[in-house]
Amino acid sequence: MIRVAPALAFLALALLPFVLPDPFLLHLMTSVAIAAILALGLQFLLGISGQLSLGQAAFYGVGAYGSALMTGAGVPFLVAVPLAAMAAGASSLILIPVTRLRGPYLAVATLGFSIAAYLVIKNEEWLTGGSLGLMGISRPTLFGLRLRDPAHVYWLCAGLAALVWLGLCRLADSRFGRAAHAIRQDEDAARASGLRVTLIKTQCFVVSAVISGLAGALFAHHIRYLGPADFSFWKSVEVLIMVVIGGVGSAAGAVLGAAVVVLLPEWLRLIGDYRLLVFGATVVVLMLFGSGGLAGLWGAIRRPRGAAP
Amino acid sequence: MTPLLEVQAVTRRFGGLVALEAVHMQVASGTVHGLIGPNGAGKTTFLNVIAGAFPPSGGRLLLEGRDITSLAGAERARLGIRRTFQNLKLFAEMTALENAAIGLHTDSRAGVLAALFRPPGQRREERAIMARAAEALEFVGLAAHAQHVAGTLAYGHRRLLEIARAIAPRPKLLLLDEPAAGLNPTEAASLTGLIARIRDAGTTVILVEHHMDVVMRVCDRITVLNHGRHLATGTPAEIQADASVVEAYLGQDALAEALAC
Repeated sequence: MIRVAPALAFLALALLPFVLPDPFLLHLMTSVAIAAILALGLQFLLGISGQLSLGQAAFYGVGAYGSALMTGAGVPFLVAVPLAAMAAGASSLILIPVTRLRGPYLAVATLGFSIAAYLVIKNEEWLTGGSLGLMGISRPTLFGLRLRDPAHVYWLCAGLAALVWLGLCRLADSRFGRAAHAIRQDEDAARASGLRVTLIKTQCFVVSAVISGLAGALFAHHIRYLGPADFSFWKSVEVLIMVVIGGVGSAAGAVLGAAVVVLLPEWLRLIGDYRLLVFGATVVVLMLFGSGGLAGLWGAIRRPRGAAP
Repeated sequence: MTPLLEVQAVTRRFGGLVALEAVHMQVASGTVHGLIGPNGAGKTTFLNVIAGAFPPSGGRLLLEGRDITSLAGAERARLGIRRTFQNLKLFAEMTALENAAIGLHTDSRAGVLAALFRPPGQRREERAIMARAAEALEFVGLAAHAQHVAGTLAYGHRRLLEIARAIAPRPKLLLLDEPAAGLNPTEAASLTGLIARIRDAGTTVILVEHHMDVVMRVCDRITVLNHGRHLATGTPAEIQADASVVEAYLGQDALAEALAC
């Protein structure tokens, strides 16, 4: 079901390059779209299957370096990006043994994975360029057409973000999504209904990693330079902040959260060194408004007090 | 005839505590088999061993002659053993219909790709799941609550929803763990009728229950456990007349009176 508010918002975002053809703004909004894809990936894992991952930066990195290296070796953009996303999905299979863990234990195990991936990126110079990184990554190229115009790159990334959103809504509203949701609520009851819990949790991880890898691949061709700093465990934390301030369990919340996390520090540049402090304080205040995040806040505004959710 | 379920000398220890000691039981297909005993007799442990929540320390379990002792709970559920829980384990955030639909997960196939691309087969399957889930709700009398979130249902309705989820796939064996607990007499009476209808629809039932009127009215056979050991098996009339059973319950006046009814 497509509701009015998201449809209008999507239309406004699609028309943005005509209304405000400012290259820097389009560059920022492309970053928001990529962050939104990354946040949607974690939203699925955390919001539907209840698994808290602090390892999303690792999948993001596999997608980014994978696509950069493949296009560098002559693989076309349209082939390299899906392959890099799948490679990120494959890399998540390393985590099968830890899907048995729950809550903080799973979070720390995936954090370890994220740190290990960062160290590989930083130290395996022959592959990743180490601290110097990879430069001169090709622009997105569709059917031989090189996307030079920031508006075109923006449309590509925003369009893919919309597709990911639609895909996740479909996954959530399906036999598979129901099973993942059930496992989040009661694993014993899920097992008693014949659900193979570890398999379904692993599938959720793979889906989440593929989406994160897609975001990473787009990031590589958008920024066109990769260095280890963008794939440290801080990135994993940032993704978690996006999902939590947006509202766990809400696709729209993930997108809103991504917009806040990308745009707010930019707007706060005016106040110089204090911007991260203000950013941190904003995150704390948003949390005080309740665990529903921005999506919950929006719902509370639309519904009169005391009405059924 | 091979019994639907045969329990051979099942023992279960928790550390030094012996919760079940060499318990035997045969459950004939198409019956309601009661499992009673004083508090701490090992009834719920026994049910958990049958469901595969944890493995027995010794002994064997045969479903239609096939050894299922080493199978995990999810695999036994796939073979047709479904259960309810004493302390209600529903998917509280999902609707009643979705809860029942989870019970049908094993009867359907659509995976991640089908969910994304929605080929006609997936849509058909999804409609079939929902139709069967609705049937299960109707069977237990919850049709009017299909779209209600499980966590908001009244207590008695939640008990019924657990049963609907368990019987949706028409299992071979249904394990009911104190389904009448917390129900008022009217609800308990209609539960008795529901259990009989489940049996008549082809599902064999093992019933753990403290309400003796429910047990005596609906069970075809009854096994009595005491201190983790098998005490007696027989028809309700035989059990009521059994001196060792009455003795096991001595001091528990309410239950002794219930047995005499």
